[in-house]
Amino acid sequence: MKLDSTQRTWLFISIAIFVACLAIYVPYALTAPKGPTGGSALGLAFGIVGFAFMLFAAALGARKRVPTWRLGRAQAWMRGHLWLGFLALPLILFHGGFHFGGTLTRVLMWLLIITVVSGVFGAALQNYLPKIMTNDVPLETIYDEIGHVRRLLREEADRAMESLCGPLGFKYTSDVAGQRAGGFTAMRALTATTVALRTSAAVSAGASVATAVAAAPEIILLNEEQSAPLRRFYLAELRPYLEQPKRSSRLSEAGRAKSSFAAVRTLAPASAHATITDLEEICEEARQLSLQERMHRWLHGWLLVHIPLSLALILLGAVHAVMALRY
Amino acid sequence: MNYFKRPTPLKRAKLWLSLALPLVALIWIAAHFAMHDSRVYSSGRLSNPHAVFETQCAACHVEKAGAYSAKAENSACLACHDGPIHHAEQTRMPNCAECHVEHRGKINLSAASNQSCAQCHSELRTNGGAAHFSANISSLENGHPEFRAAATNHDPGTIKLNHKLHMQPIRSAPGGPSVQLECFDCHRPPGVTKPWIYADGKYLGITASYTDKDQFLTASSSSLKARNPATGRELMAPVKFATACAGCHLLTFDKRFDDGVPHDKPEVVHTFLMKKFGAYIATHSNELHEMQDPSRDLSGKLLQPRMRTLSAPQWVAEKVAVAEELLSHKTCAQCHQMTKQNLPDTSIARWSPANVAAGTVTSIANLAAGGNSAGMIGAVAPANITLRWLPHSRFDHDAHTGFTCVSCHAKALTSTESSELLIPGIATCRTCHAPGPNHAESRCFECHTYHDWSQRKEVKPAFRLPALHTGGE
Repeated sequence: MKLDSTQRTWLFISIAIFVACLAIYVPYALTAPKGPTGGSALGLAFGIVGFAFMLFAAALGARKRVPTWRLGRAQAWMRGHLWLGFLALPLILFHGGFHFGGTLTRVLMWLLIITVVSGVFGAALQNYLPKIMTNDVPLETIYDEIGHVRRLLREEADRAMESLCGPLGFKYTSDVAGQRAGGFTAMRALTATTVALRTSAAVSAGASVATAVAAAPEIILLNEEQSAPLRRFYLAELRPYLEQPKRSSRLSEAGRAKSSFAAVRTLAPASAHATITDLEEICEEARQLSLQERMHRWLHGWLLVHIPLSLALILLGAVHAVMALRY
Repeated sequence: MNYFKRPTPLKRAKLWLSLALPLVALIWIAAHFAMHDSRVYSSGRLSNPHAVFETQCAACHVEKAGAYSAKAENSACLACHDGPIHHAEQTRMPNCAECHVEHRGKINLSAASNQSCAQCHSELRTNGGAAHFSANISSLENGHPEFRAAATNHDPGTIKLNHKLHMQPIRSAPGGPSVQLECFDCHRPPGVTKPWIYADGKYLGITASYTDKDQFLTASSSSLKARNPATGRELMAPVKFATACAGCHLLTFDKRFDDGVPHDKPEVVHTFLMKKFGAYIATHSNELHEMQDPSRDLSGKLLQPRMRTLSAPQWVAEKVAVAEELLSHKTCAQCHQMTKQNLPDTSIARWSPANVAAGTVTSIANLAAGGNSAGMIGAVAPANITLRWLPHSRFDHDAHTGFTCVSCHAKALTSTESSELLIPGIATCRTCHAPGPNHAESRCFECHTYHDWSQRKEVKPAFRLPALHTGGE
């Protein structure tokens, strides 16, 4: 969720709630003979309100399960989750008088702190990373399809290599008119070797398939000696990178990848340059997919902490509430 | 087209963690429940003295229908501790747990909050009419009045002492070396056993006829007795002549003797002098025949030498009278208020013409006949030494030994009159004792006692060690 001026109302409401609670808490803490405790009337009130905020924040998960129910706008739920969930922390601190108490309450306090901090971290990431992704990953695809797209890119590169160097023994799982992510067909008419060449970059950049086809140069098969440097580079570096991108590979960094391709281009005859350029573009797309993957992990990885801990928090919080009220 | 329904590793991990973590939490709580271990619900660790009850909730919390009450009962506390009341006139009797808050970890349980005291003292009411104390005290910073002694700024003591003079280099005796006295040379708590520098051995072991009770003011009866026994280092002991003064202030009375009179009541001194001069003249009878020393004429004229002969009692009486005149007018009066000057005609010792003509002295004859057993030294006013300046609170000098005396008793450097009060006011205390992390403790309990331990009752032991270990009788 983007933290922009549309959040102003929630921000002001949250500040108002916090200031009101603070105004109640400070004189209470200063005058309570036993100090602020969770068992006092005000302490209980803070606890109940704080727990209610936690429940509301947790209800977002349930709300997402039933998106068609008319339970208010999803945006409002998300904002409520963000701001009321954040407010739960100071209210629960007021509830316990900034004491972490016994075993259960200490566990609860740490669960709450980690949940809130992870939530704030996640909100910050979601506010920041999409901008970076828009800039750095213009070839962004659907995350769940990244593996599939990466396989297509590798097969596309294999075909390009075989069109240039002759059969290299590669196997293909997709047909020539391979289906691309999102269900669209990204291909172009082939040159003399009738090998499908990669057009995803051009298509992604807005070019029509016809334009991409028109721009495709003629490809001439290289002999063994001519193709040797290119084959070595492809088999030793590019193909492993396309299969399993590793950050240790020099192709994972744009500048070093450019140098590598320039070196290969120097060793290869001019007739292979168009294919090498195409391979470079495939590599670039694979690199962007890796970056997208990493950013996606950051964008959603914090949920591995946030959601399970928040569920445990709600469960143990309910136990604490029952036991505290009962005793 | 249904790729979005396929679980990714991230989604799978999220799902499993979302199931596993609450499950672990549930198992954890259920395990404690199954083992009847209520510690997990405790609102905090117990203080050190109560740590043995960490697993024994029932020791303090009453169990009703399988659940423990949230509040500890007074009876549970009183089973081990007596809690004498604060004042008979107090209108409200707080529960033990209102002031002594448990489950706050390893804290000092007796360190009650200011708010606990302020519940009554911020608007003090009593059952016995008007309160004797300030009625609106919330804390040391808020509403606490100036110490009563400091407010009156008067020392009722009668011993004359110029502190300023004694704080500067001073001669230890006529013709003696200059010394720089330290506060510790005169003022010490009774618990200190270090030898006194300016003591005189002749006076140390002697039992005087007067008692401390005659000289000290009694402490206020409304002060509450502290629970813990005194260490003997809290308050300064009253300054004694034998330990602090005798090294310099000699009580000599006649050039014939090197030693001084006892530091005692006038009648004791008189008896001492009579015996001393009597014993002397018995072995020096030639001194009964006296020739007046011309140099003693105050007019400066050379007079004809005059002769006289005295009987031994006359001689003794005259010498005693002269010594007592010296003591009464100078030696004793230097430090003590002499409330009654009953000296007779001391010209008997001045060779008055009448005495010479008579060859004897009427008044001396009277004295010699035992007309005045108390002698001629005036009555000495009681010292009225205040033992405890802050009777409603505890002050511990030992806890402040890191600071120089004049840090707090700054007026000692400039005070010339003993009537000037030298104890510091509350502002001095507040320079260190204030709320906040950079200050010393300032809560009420630091100086005041709530329970009046003079009313303490003995408690019958309620626990046996095996019961603590096994959780039941």
